[in-house]
Amino acid sequence: MKQATALPLQQRLQRQQALAQRLRLPVALAAGLGCGFLIMCAVSSEPLRAFLTLLTGALPRLHWGAGEGWQLTRLVRFGAVIEDAITLTLLGLAVAIPFRARQFSLGADGQLFLGALAATVVSLYLPGPWFVVLSLSMLAACASGFLWGALPGLLKTRFQANEIVTTLMLNIVAVQAYRWLVSGWLRDPAGGFIVTPFLPASLQLPVLLVHTNVTVMLLALPLLVWTSWLLLMRTTLGYEIRVVGQSAAFALQAGLPVQRTVWLSMGAGGVLAALAGMHISHGLLKRLPVDLPAGLGYEGLLVALLARCEPRAVPWAALMYAYLRTGALAMERSTDVSREVVLVIQALVILFLVAERMQPALAGGWLRWRARRVAGGRHDA
Amino acid sequence: MTHDYWAWSMAAATLLPAVLRAATPILLAALGGLISDLAGCINVGLEGLMLVAAFFAVVGSVLAAYWLPGLPPVWHAWLGALAGVLAAMLLALLLAVFHLEWGADLIVAGIALNVLAAGLTVFLLSTLVGDKGSTASLDTPVLPALHLPGLQSWPQLDLLLNGEHGRGHHLLLWTALLAIPLLRLLLRHTRTGVWLCASGEHPQAAAEAGIPVKRMRYLALLVSGMLAGLGGVYLSMGYLSLFQSDMTAGRGFLALAAVFVGARGLTGTVLASLLFGASAVLSTRLGAAGMAPQLLYMLPPVVTLLALVAAGARKQGRAHRSS
Repeated sequence: MKQATALPLQQRLQRQQALAQRLRLPVALAAGLGCGFLIMCAVSSEPLRAFLTLLTGALPRLHWGAGEGWQLTRLVRFGAVIEDAITLTLLGLAVAIPFRARQFSLGADGQLFLGALAATVVSLYLPGPWFVVLSLSMLAACASGFLWGALPGLLKTRFQANEIVTTLMLNIVAVQAYRWLVSGWLRDPAGGFIVTPFLPASLQLPVLLVHTNVTVMLLALPLLVWTSWLLLMRTTLGYEIRVVGQSAAFALQAGLPVQRTVWLSMGAGGVLAALAGMHISHGLLKRLPVDLPAGLGYEGLLVALLARCEPRAVPWAALMYAYLRTGALAMERSTDVSREVVLVIQALVILFLVAERMQPALAGGWLRWRARRVAGGRHDA
Repeated sequence: MTHDYWAWSMAAATLLPAVLRAATPILLAALGGLISDLAGCINVGLEGLMLVAAFFAVVGSVLAAYWLPGLPPVWHAWLGALAGVLAAMLLALLLAVFHLEWGADLIVAGIALNVLAAGLTVFLLSTLVGDKGSTASLDTPVLPALHLPGLQSWPQLDLLLNGEHGRGHHLLLWTALLAIPLLRLLLRHTRTGVWLCASGEHPQAAAEAGIPVKRMRYLALLVSGMLAGLGGVYLSMGYLSLFQSDMTAGRGFLALAAVFVGARGLTGTVLASLLFGASAVLSTRLGAAGMAPQLLYMLPPVVTLLALVAAGARKQGRAHRSS
């Protein structure tokens, strides 16, 4: 007992904090997955198999065939993981940048729809050599994303309109405008169902991996991640974003342009979300159906929170989430557990991750318990 | 002249209940959002709380009918409503514990709660019903309507208070209307209410004065869970008689917007909720007149945005005048 309490208090506290910091993400992940497993146990007849499928279903499989020797199968499925991870990385960055300024922008959905729409309109209707049209498409997507992202920022700085509410309302407006245009003006009469014509082949992003839709966007991704990191950590705007996020009152006192920072950060997020839209329209689908998967913006939010809004961690978080999501699809097909359990797991991971005092409390308890046990052992000897 | 007056008053008497019917879920959730906001805890999870309540109300009533077939069906509906409200309060308690005990950021935790609710309801729906869309295959009992007798001699009043076919209004609609004066009473004229507002106004000062700030915030979040839960129960056991995935369709966020538009006051919040209800009614009426549905769906969010802008401009005008 004496040995344990002999450590100076400060040193003990520091050790506690360091332990808690290091263990935070793994503990939150383990706790979320554990809760997910418990839920599966409650509803499934074969929870263990379902859980293992969730964890390994996305991997390519190496197996031995009599005629062909060793073969990798399910590469298409793994390609889907990468396609998904690209979208989620862009959306994660789109959410992470405003979050660093403590702007809870949930508008990635609307920006994505509008970005895809703007890029497709330019690609379909503008004549010219492919590199001009493609770069103009990208420009159109970025511009629409920036405008649609900066708008709630301006509403907030000018009219103190809460950004959570305005971004969600603007999402509805953007999604309905998208549907209206795709089902009216842009509709391909020969399409059979409501869909735009295919993009010209020269404007579709080149594919890197055969049989999948993994496009050159994968190569652009490190660049975008690095640019976002650079923007946040090495530019004046990034500094302003971080200070405003830490304390808007302090930033105002220090004379920083808080209002401009707020709407610029949201606009920058909008650009990245619009690029995700362009990845979907020009890389994955090659044409726009009337219904894009909704709720992608929320998933970008989960990715950003999982990466704790650190741009360099976003791709890994996105990869992990895409991996789980693809595994969940496999699980839904082969067992009786439906894939929405991933949403529950993810939400729980976020809750455990942001609960700052939860793990220090637990870690402190554990350290105390260990100290007591060590001391007890000494007494026995 | 008298004919015109007659026609107008009858039209108003049919329109107002329609607005109230559309506004009830928003109003209930907005009152919940208001009380937690006054205690200094902005509740972003209203949407998720409503969704969970709507789901568990249906599941609870169906299970009650399964386990206790001897009871009259109205009791099944009541047990279901109780289950729904309890589920919402449990989820609100989760939010409260994570925020107040373990220091989780309230907004992030609230958003996580919405994701949790959306995932959990669809997951349980597909597990229990085998359908990810709705519980249309289940027979859901509905909470009764309240018919006020003895109004036959005043047709307008009868239409206003008992609805078009004299069936009466849903019980939760009356509950929502009743909740307004009750909340006012609680906030203005009880010690708890004053303490609650104080802990939102200035938590340190309130704590210095000996007010149990944390307990007040627990209370506020639980009450907001209860009110949002009632709103959710109304959706699945009144507005419709089934549960659909994502059936709240942003009403929780409209409720949040109503609190902001109403400048955190009771009257303003109620009026804003009614405005959002009216815009929903207008959009369905215009849809019957043959406008493009996509443009109509834009109407409620645009009204919300305009209301937020107007509220902000008004607040600024006031600040200018006072300075």
